Amino acid sequence: MMQAAAPTGVSAARAVWLLTCLRLKRVANQMTVIYNRPLSGRKGRPATSGKKRNRWVVSGVVAFFMLFAYGNIARQSIVNLHRALDHVPYARSIASGPLSDALVRGLAMQLSLLLVAAILGTLASRELSQPDWDLEWLATLPLRTPMLLLCRIMERSIANPLGLLTLLPAGTLIAWISGYRWSAPLLGAIATLPLLVVAAIARTLIDTGLRMSLAASRLRNLQAVLSIVSVVLLYLVISLGMTSPMAFVLGWAREFPNWGSWLPPGLVVRALNAPQLSAQIGIGLLLIVEVGIGLWGSLALIAHQLRNGVVAASSRETARHSVAMSKGHGTQSTRRMGTVVQRRELKLLLRDRTFLVQTLVLPVVIVASQVIFQGRLYGSSFAGASNAAVASIAFGIASYTLMMSAFQTLNSEGGALWLLFTVPRSVESVLKEKAQLWAVLALGYPIAVFAIAAVIKSQADLELIGLAAVVLLGVPIYTLIAVSLGVFGCDPLAQEVNTRLRPTYVYLFMMLAGLYTYAIFASEWWQRVVLIVLSGLLALALWQKARDELPYLLDPAASPPARVSTSDGVIAAMIFFVIQGIAAVFLRDEDHHLSAGALIVAYSIAGGLTFGLFRLSLWRTKTTGVPAVFGARFGRAAAWGAGTGLIAAAAGLVYIFTMRHLGLMQDAMPDSARGLSAGAWIAVLAIVAAPVFEEFIFRGLIFGGLRRSLGAAPAIAASAAVFAIVHPPVSMIPVFGLGVCAAFAYDRTKLLLAPMIAHGLYNAVVLGYQAAL
Amino acid sequence: MIEFLELSKSYGSFRALAPLNLTVPRGEMFGFLGPNGAGKTTTIRMMMGILVPSAGQVRIDGLDCHRESSEVKRHVGYLPDSPIFYDYLRGREILQFIGEMHNLTRTEAVLRTGRLMAELGLEEVAEEFAVNYSMGMKKKLGLACALIHEPSVLILDEPTNGLDPRASRDVQQRLRRSAEQGMTIFLSTHILDMAERLCSRIGIIHHGELVATGSPQELKDNVTAGGTLEEVFLAVTEESDQA
Repeated sequence: MMQAAAPTGVSAARAVWLLTCLRLKRVANQMTVIYNRPLSGRKGRPATSGKKRNRWVVSGVVAFFMLFAYGNIARQSIVNLHRALDHVPYARSIASGPLSDALVRGLAMQLSLLLVAAILGTLASRELSQPDWDLEWLATLPLRTPMLLLCRIMERSIANPLGLLTLLPAGTLIAWISGYRWSAPLLGAIATLPLLVVAAIARTLIDTGLRMSLAASRLRNLQAVLSIVSVVLLYLVISLGMTSPMAFVLGWAREFPNWGSWLPPGLVVRALNAPQLSAQIGIGLLLIVEVGIGLWGSLALIAHQLRNGVVAASSRETARHSVAMSKGHGTQSTRRMGTVVQRRELKLLLRDRTFLVQTLVLPVVIVASQVIFQGRLYGSSFAGASNAAVASIAFGIASYTLMMSAFQTLNSEGGALWLLFTVPRSVESVLKEKAQLWAVLALGYPIAVFAIAAVIKSQADLELIGLAAVVLLGVPIYTLIAVSLGVFGCDPLAQEVNTRLRPTYVYLFMMLAGLYTYAIFASEWWQRVVLIVLSGLLALALWQKARDELPYLLDPAASPPARVSTSDGVIAAMIFFVIQGIAAVFLRDEDHHLSAGALIVAYSIAGGLTFGLFRLSLWRTKTTGVPAVFGARFGRAAAWGAGTGLIAAAAGLVYIFTMRHLGLMQDAMPDSARGLSAGAWIAVLAIVAAPVFEEFIFRGLIFGGLRRSLGAAPAIAASAAVFAIVHPPVSMIPVFGLGVCAAFAYDRTKLLLAPMIAHGLYNAVVLGYQAAL
Repeated sequence: MIEFLELSKSYGSFRALAPLNLTVPRGEMFGFLGPNGAGKTTTIRMMMGILVPSAGQVRIDGLDCHRESSEVKRHVGYLPDSPIFYDYLRGREILQFIGEMHNLTRTEAVLRTGRLMAELGLEEVAEEFAVNYSMGMKKKLGLACALIHEPSVLILDEPTNGLDPRASRDVQQRLRRSAEQGMTIFLSTHILDMAERLCSRIGIIHHGELVATGSPQELKDNVTAGGTLEEVFLAVTEESDQA
């Protein structure tokens, strides 16, 4: 019988090409999934507009800033090395041309550190501990093992974003200072390539060896350790680019051995800086030979590791051997603690070493590295640090903990999220319980930091106690923000684990957490109160939006119906203040003074535009729950408005009377307010315009939105607090009372007419009383 | 009882399910058949509140599956086509967790976990991490999760996929016992023999439309004049394509 001839084997070049294309296609497809933009233009099952989110701009900006940041660090590192090694302490830049031997060695050390950081960073990724090892699949292809490994190294050399991010800016800048100027980016990229090959060789050699020899549990432990070491090393490299780099790192650069500059990173520097073409070619050839020998040797070593076949030591880990341990630790210790969801979460935390280290250890390492390597406390001890510095360290650690834990509450459910859709509990209640757990764990760090500070300083002064309160209030607020942003940032339908979380939201969380440090460094108490209240409102608004999304998580097409939410109120208030500010700029007189008439015009323009824009937007999006001014029970609303308005006004009069008698009124009143105290214009503003516009925003949208998620009492208190903090400090207390009365009237009548009347009446009585004095 | 009232689902311009009207009475085992991509899983996911209907509703024991989804899940057990479980949790722990999430006491959850694992032949692997289970074991664990709270309605998406013949037979016997005890079972499958053996009534869906319903015998008599269920299936799906 005739047999069909077997097909001839694929050539080495073609195999490399195919596997590299496959990897790049995977990266491109991942981007497509993330951004909902098919590169090929073909359409699958189309989603409605509600699920489409355009994140190209945000991610483009983030990528640009990351490249810029790495470039800037590389530039400052080179300048610092130049200052220290060429003994020019005040140099701000480097003249292009041949570099000194000392600087060449210093740059070789910098590139070597970056290379090690890139290798460790890629090894610390979750890929190492994932049960599926793609080499097992690749081994089924009709390729000889050395060829297969060569393909893998080439593919990893090209598709290494972390390596590119760390090495490319430094390579480009070294080419720039070597005199290549605008051809530096191209030469930098060419010079980076051999280093990426070295990184790929090291990564493949190490991860193959580890996979072949270590059980899955040990791999996870090792990965947890690597994630810490890589962060410390990265901060060490970054510290070289700070304005005051650590002396010991510069010392390493001075002592960097000459032979070190004959290794691949040093040869890259030498090749770029060689004065003649022949020397460049010679050094380039040496570099190629070194990388080639390394490649050949490592291929032989990996082939030896795989001599008995590609079977990971970690495959099908039964976990039976650790049953006794788990019964002792995981089960019993968590048996009586918290709810069933919290117990499960703790169990997962105790078993997943990577998660444990990233959640509980890495935040401390990151903040400690920042403090030490960026020199914030350099030269002084913890005891000498200011209370604000202690508070910012405490909040920093808590924020990183929340980023690693609370931010992941939805993402950590992974592919098993469907199980939560089979139990008679809402996903919201599960996330809330997880959030409570993470808030408690995250609070542990600030408490510990403040306790240590109090012990070291041998006293707990009032300022430290106040700052501790600010931080301890901030942690639950930012837990809610983290959980909410985690919901927006997670795509449970993503097929690839590493595309399930959108990094943009991680940066957004860190940015918002950074804003809260203003509450720590603020000079006035009321500024802190304002920031705490605004952060709390933001947390509630985000959580409400996230809650609305939860029932639609696993539906690729449907989105929640539009309803009035707290975030509408927050946005409306922001638009109102921005328009008012812009209008006021245009309405100022030549001396930059704003008359009472101009103020009311600016206020009315802002109020009218905000009111109109929002009404139009709510109508166009068919939003439900839009606040109504009039309705069938018109008379009842007017009566409630008048009653609550009189109560608020009476309280306001008592407050003013008390403040005047204590002599605090004039001191506390800002100059601008005193200047505006007269005139009929202000009466029109206060009695007619303010009630209409402010009640729409603060009662209609903010209170209405809060009421959807909260009971009457907390919603009234929260909306009144927000209303109070947008007023001058002197009037915060009576305005809070007005906010309570107006919200109560609105809650009872469901018509904005009631709080509008209450607001107008309050302003009329208070202004009338002040005018009469 | 399960009631589909004008239930439909679209993904943009793609219609995954045309308005579906169907009633599955209490105690019936209903087989939901159809080619790949016909809309079976979409329908089942709407029953579980995982997908949101574009129009219409599905009610289980009088409760709206979208608006009252938490209440519905007290009465329903669900097995997806490809169950995925948590990393770092053992089969026993996952089942116990689901039991406690159904508000069983810890003792009761432990008791039922042991019983179900023994019944479904998972005792040997109860202490393994579920992520390492074979597809068949995952299916069995998923079925145990669906049964632990003793629901009155069972919704199963391809329950015997990935099971070996013995395990498949065990699962079918378990389902038959449950139906005899009065449980309503809504079963999606490709295996026509199984549907014919187990189900008192069958519905065939194609391109999102329910193209035939009736008992296996009725379908065979009416569509192919005494042919097999396979011939019925091929006939109604071909007719639908031509139409």
